[in-house]
Amino acid sequence: MRRALLLRLTASSVIWFAATGCAQEQTGGSAKTSLVVYAASSLTDAFRSVKEAFEEANPEIEVRMTFAGSQVLRVQIEQGALADVFASANQHHMNALIEGGHIPSSQPFASNELVLVVPIANPAGIEGFEDLKKASLIVLGSDNAPVGIYTRQVLERAQLALGADFIATVQSHVVSLEHNVRLVRAKVEMGEADAAIVYRTEASSPRLKMVLIPKKMNAQVRYPIGALARSAHTSQARRFLDYVLSNEGQRILHSHDFLAAE
Amino acid sequence: MSQERLFSPLSTLGGLLGVALLGLLTVPLVALALSVSAEATLAGLRHPLFLPALSLSLQTSLASLSLTVALGTPLAWWIASSQSKATKVVALLVELPIVIPPAVLGVALLQTFGRQGLLGPFLENIGLAIPFTTQAVIIAQIVVSSPFFIQAATNSFRKVDPDTLIVARTLGSSSALAFFRVVLPISLPGLVTGASLAWARALGEFGATLLFAGNMPGQTQTMPLAIFSALESDVQLAVVFSLVLVATGAALLTCLRLLPFITKTTWRPLS
Repeated sequence: MRRALLLRLTASSVIWFAATGCAQEQTGGSAKTSLVVYAASSLTDAFRSVKEAFEEANPEIEVRMTFAGSQVLRVQIEQGALADVFASANQHHMNALIEGGHIPSSQPFASNELVLVVPIANPAGIEGFEDLKKASLIVLGSDNAPVGIYTRQVLERAQLALGADFIATVQSHVVSLEHNVRLVRAKVEMGEADAAIVYRTEASSPRLKMVLIPKKMNAQVRYPIGALARSAHTSQARRFLDYVLSNEGQRILHSHDFLAAE
Repeated sequence: MSQERLFSPLSTLGGLLGVALLGLLTVPLVALALSVSAEATLAGLRHPLFLPALSLSLQTSLASLSLTVALGTPLAWWIASSQSKATKVVALLVELPIVIPPAVLGVALLQTFGRQGLLGPFLENIGLAIPFTTQAVIIAQIVVSSPFFIQAATNSFRKVDPDTLIVARTLGSSSALAFFRVVLPISLPGLVTGASLAWARALGEFGATLLFAGNMPGQTQTMPLAIFSALESDVQLAVVFSLVLVATGAALLTCLRLLPFITKTTWRPLS
């Protein structure tokens, strides 16, 4: 069990090291066209399934995935990374790339919401969102990671409903600002943090207990996808986009708990 | 003449290869310096993340250096002077962190000091919580940096002629006095080199810190973590932070080049 967790954590650090561009998944290919897809960390499991199904339907295309915080992928694309497709966990980073002329246009393809996760042992006894103030070790996403941006929206809305005291208490108990949602989740999975705010799609782990955040305080998490203007594989990139938006692609995303784009 | 002809194409090739490597080592630093304007540098130095991160980096790296020297010097002396087989094993164990990726060390530290870790229940009993604290930053730095000090210290202790020690002892020095007045002065340049290497490594520590101590401005966000955080919003800011670390490293290296010279000319052992 501990060994599996260790492997999992090493995997998260590998995801993290994707920031330096060395975590591209590779399958031995011959004359296949390689399509490089940059995707938000929260899409890791879902897009691996999409990749498999897409490659089966398009045997001449090999998809190479890189997962990291959307803000990290955005900087890499701005600095000239040779990606073909970018799937972001928020519109903000996508818009920055559209304004910068890197991506002509984007389409929403999925949505999500935020939840609290606590270790299965639940040391702080958190049963509802308002119990978050009881957690003494809280981990959140960093200011630029989409999960962190959405979290700040939730906390702002919670301030209206639960008061400034609640927010001040919560903020004074934050011990780490992680760079992507997988790293946020890992700290709770290891039992090191009492609570964290992550996407609902991240909560299905046997080591975690999910606590819902009331709808009126929750954030509208939207995932846009777009092909890069400098891609040398425009038609293949279009095919991947169409696949993600197709019934089959949407079914796969849904099976990973993503909601349809609104 | 014939020898010269034989060697000159080789030495030209060697020179070219050397210049290529020299370029690879220096051009990125020049590029880094050229990529920011004076205004961006000023704005970067005034950024709210900058001072807390720099001060945390200096405090933690000096704390970890002090602990490394205090705990590492006796260990290095024992490795250098003991003849037993156990020392070979210990010397190997001490060098192990050098070849292990820092991210792995970070996970291993969590599995040791974390709430669910090996020592977790014990630490909880005595009311200690290590992860996400400044102490965690220091522990991570010690783990990654002390092997460099111990290695250098061991090597320089080994160079001390055992006869010198025997002479000191026959002249009436206690073994402690002999260590401080004979061994230490002779091996000081090596110890200083090792300490500087360890400090530089601690200052640059990133992967283990991120996993074991987390990323919190003012608490655990050292300069390398601040650089990574800045990179997510503003590349220029990250470059300014990086330049400060480069300058710190360069200053350290310059002092290092000067120090052994100073110690050799001004230290007069047993005068």
